[in-house]
Amino acid sequence: MNADEIRDLAAVYALGGLDGDDRARFEALLLAGDREAAAALQEFEGTLVEMVGTGTIEVPPPAVKQALMARIASETAARPSAAPVKTLMVPPRARRSFWPAVWSGALAAGIAAIAVGFSVSATYEQRLNSLAQEAATLRAELSRQQAIVALVRDPATQVVSLAGLEPAPSARARMIWNAPAGGLLVAAGLPPAPSGKTYQLWAIAGKQAPVSAGVFDVDAQGGGSLPVPPLPGVDKVDTFAVTLEPAGGLPAPSGQMYLAGKS
Amino acid sequence: MVGVTMSTPVDPHDAEALVARIAEGDRDAFSRFYDAFSGTAFGLIRRVLRDPAPAEEVLQEVFWQVWREASRYDARRGSPVAWLLMRAKARAIDKLRSIRRREKTFVMPVNEAVARRDDGEAQSVAAAAEGRDVVQGALSRLPDAQRRVIELAFFEGLTQTEIAERLGEPLGTVKTRARLGLERLRSVLRAQDRTGERAGER
Repeated sequence: MNADEIRDLAAVYALGGLDGDDRARFEALLLAGDREAAAALQEFEGTLVEMVGTGTIEVPPPAVKQALMARIASETAARPSAAPVKTLMVPPRARRSFWPAVWSGALAAGIAAIAVGFSVSATYEQRLNSLAQEAATLRAELSRQQAIVALVRDPATQVVSLAGLEPAPSARARMIWNAPAGGLLVAAGLPPAPSGKTYQLWAIAGKQAPVSAGVFDVDAQGGGSLPVPPLPGVDKVDTFAVTLEPAGGLPAPSGQMYLAGKS
Repeated sequence: MVGVTMSTPVDPHDAEALVARIAEGDRDAFSRFYDAFSGTAFGLIRRVLRDPAPAEEVLQEVFWQVWREASRYDARRGSPVAWLLMRAKARAIDKLRSIRRREKTFVMPVNEAVARRDDGEAQSVAAAAEGRDVVQGALSRLPDAQRRVIELAFFEGLTQTEIAERLGEPLGTVKTRARLGLERLRSVLRAQDRTGERAGER
């Protein structure tokens, strides 16, 4: 895709009219963090907003605002206020003697102080670790994004939509595929794989047997992704499909099919 | 008063501050945000949905989303007004499509309904009669072919494929016209801005 083609897609997208393969491709570009695509979209949306902003102002009937304010009021009233923080961990008991109370108090304070000390250094260390991790993740993410952007921009790249099948009708996925370079599967709405099972992606070319393109798991939200290397011996993929297989995957599909899409 | 507030638009920075306060559950901020922008949003929604009842429904839904989702507003992606108007437009088109689906089933085919409205002169007369001459104004400076593509997509909710079919043009032509049209629209709006013929200041 050249710059004008990307701007064409951005214009139609801003107008709300992009559909089919073009839409899949443009959304893949945005997802991949393509700056040209994002900047063009922002520019066109800005133009449309300006057009609307200089357009006709029509005062809505007051009933609309009244209904809104009433809805907000009833929502706010229904929302339970935050429970007061409990400061006493131990229910107060009748004191039999003064000293044991002092001792147990001192002991508790000491334990608390130690615990606080631990938790401070632990938090600090955790923060450092998580920052380092975050930086590494961001670097990895950036190079991954750059790779995806390059992939999506290649006119030879296909973006295939996979639809959810019977076991998970609301699942969906996009396969960004470029035979010589490989590709990326991004899936959403899959149920977590039962223990001992995993999802496996298959590439099917013509009448040939399905070729495994790797296994992947999904997060708690049902999202997952799988980078796919070039598949030797597979030139033109007709269908991508995802099945549920025993952990580690199998050389040939055996389980139920969850997602499928034709290129 | 609503009318007074609207004639003195909220400063863009104020709009951002209002959204931040709405995110914290500030009802007064929400009320001011509504007074400042509901007229523009409603004008847009009415441009898409001619009937007042569904338009009011969409307006309420859009502002309800503002109340619920103000914390998700991201200033890097555009101004609060852009955020509001793009939502309003998307919701209005959703509504239009669902109304059309119903009409398609029970009343008349979409194409017929659109074709009727598409009679060039009748349309511009109707638009002027309905006080839509302003958007028309900026759009009218565009070559017809580009203007039609923008109107069909933005206000009528047609997809590029549907537009290509309706106009009997290749898909590539439709896309290029959309881009050229928006680029031209931008420079038209810039020029208007400079000469101070801003519609809101009439």
